[in-house]
Amino acid sequence: MKALDIIFGLALAIGGLLVPLSGDAYLMGLVFQLAMWIALAQSWSMLSSTTGYLSLGHAVFYGIGAYVCVLLTGVVPFGVALAAGAAASAVFAGLIGLPVLRVQGPYFVILTYGLAELVRNVVMRIESALGSFGRMIFMVPSFEVLVWCMVALGILATLGAAAVRHSALGAGLAAIRENEVAAETVGVPVARLKLLAFVASATIPGAVGGLALLRTGYFEPAQAFDPVISFTIVTMALVGGTETVRGPVLGALGFTLLSEALWSSLPQLYMIVLGLTLIAFILFVPRGLSGLADRALGRG
Amino acid sequence: MAFLDVRGVSKRFGGLMALNNVDMSVEKGEIFGLMGANGAGKTTLFSVIAGHVAPTTGEVHFNGRRITGLSPSRICRAGICRTFQIVRPFAGLSVEENVRVAAIYGSGRGRSRASRDTLVNEALESVGLTRQRAGLAGGLTLSGQKRLEIARALATGADLVMLDEVMAGLNPTEIGEMLETLAELRRSRGITFVIVEHVIGALMTLSDRILVLHHGERIAFGTPEEIGRNKHVEEVYFG
Ligand SMILES: Nc1ncnc2c1ncn2[C@@H]1O[C@H](COP(=O)(O)OP(=O)(O)OP(=O)(O)O)[C@@H](O)[C@H]1O
Ligand SMILES: [Mg+2]
Repeated sequence: MKALDIIFGLALAIGGLLVPLSGDAYLMGLVFQLAMWIALAQSWSMLSSTTGYLSLGHAVFYGIGAYVCVLLTGVVPFGVALAAGAAASAVFAGLIGLPVLRVQGPYFVILTYGLAELVRNVVMRIESALGSFGRMIFMVPSFEVLVWCMVALGILATLGAAAVRHSALGAGLAAIRENEVAAETVGVPVARLKLLAFVASATIPGAVGGLALLRTGYFEPAQAFDPVISFTIVTMALVGGTETVRGPVLGALGFTLLSEALWSSLPQLYMIVLGLTLIAFILFVPRGLSGLADRALGRG
Repeated sequence: MAFLDVRGVSKRFGGLMALNNVDMSVEKGEIFGLMGANGAGKTTLFSVIAGHVAPTTGEVHFNGRRITGLSPSRICRAGICRTFQIVRPFAGLSVEENVRVAAIYGSGRGRSRASRDTLVNEALESVGLTRQRAGLAGGLTLSGQKRLEIARALATGADLVMLDEVMAGLNPTEIGEMLETLAELRRSRGITFVIVEHVIGALMTLSDRILVLHHGERIAFGTPEEIGRNKHVEEVYFG
């Protein structure tokens, strides 16, 4: 299974990196979306799958990245703007992390959602106070370059999630998920590790938000901080399965293809299908697509 | 100064004095018994020492250093680990993973991988969980989970281990084995133990010295023989 995972991941990565060479705009768009959701769902998993602190506000990191990027494009090279977006998300997570991570269970879910909405509204206010109703950006790099960057982020997030899981950090986070008091008792610095995971899971989404913005060439706060982004991330990660690094990849793959099919025929069904799939998986397939794959291949 | 020095510790829960001006000195390498009826404050005293509960007044010193106010994880890394009377396994992890986390993060931090493996294997072996190491901790029997508590505490590499009623629910044969295990750990690794136990026989056999608490107060202290002869203890404890 491990070898299969690596072959599958390599095939996806190489395929993704080769697609821009074809010049096929549709395929590139698909790869861009897929890599984006893999990067987001993997990042989310670094905090939420490992510790069980389910964030329903990851759109905030995506939005902050997009915002910083739109403010900086034209001023600095786009690579620097992306890095600044990622850094801003990381810093934001670092600042709010300690108090936010004191809250557990459903309260954490609601708090992260509420915070993301708060930031969205603050940015909307700032923008309208500045008299800006959406910003256009020019001098965007070619779409091929954006696709490469996004695939790179997807790969980076996947490797990052794998590294976290298989490290001492991952062992500590798993202990925190299982029993926080016992973890603290055997020496796990609980508050510090949770903060570390939170910052790690916020960073790449910042760059992802920046890239997504460069693709559309247009920034509008309601869109960049859209809570549907958070819902989609959670759904993909849960449907894919939280127990493996493979899970978010499968979840992103399944949903990107599904929504591709729906957008062309029945776009209004997207949210309904998202909700129904989530419910069905939570009730009947708690280990997600990843668990199904294990079973299909005769393991687990 | 003693290895572990508890000075004038009190703990108030609302109107209840769970601990009232308790002093306790534990020497390095000894097995120290803590006795007392239900609600005497034994678990609360462990929680104060391990950093889970802040004392209302008083201080705890360990190895010459004041540890009052440190977080439980810092205190663990300083070399003290406690078990929980009501077990707290990492239920969804394997038995081995439970113990490994303790070896990674406990006072043995910075060890090489090989010496961590040794710590894990020894901890599992000494409580007899080697055969169940791959199974989920949540699947162990209560007695298994009690032993896992001990294994986890040992794997932190702690110099001082506090065991809270780990023999409750064990049968006489298992208690006998446990007594041997603890005595052997003290001999081979020089671990200091503080033990709370309602199985009085076990406590008397194992302990070098015993402290008796009653309603949060120290009422007797001495060797097992002295405690056995103490009329006051007999009254409040058995009477
Ligand atoms: N967190 C708490 N809040 C309020 N009261 C508490 C708390 N923890 C313990 N107590 C009370 O403090 C007293 C001492 O409790 P403790 O658990 O330390 O006793 P114990 O000696 O361990 O008893 P047992 O033999 O039953 O385990 C009891 O009356 C208990 O109800
Ligand atoms: Mg108790």
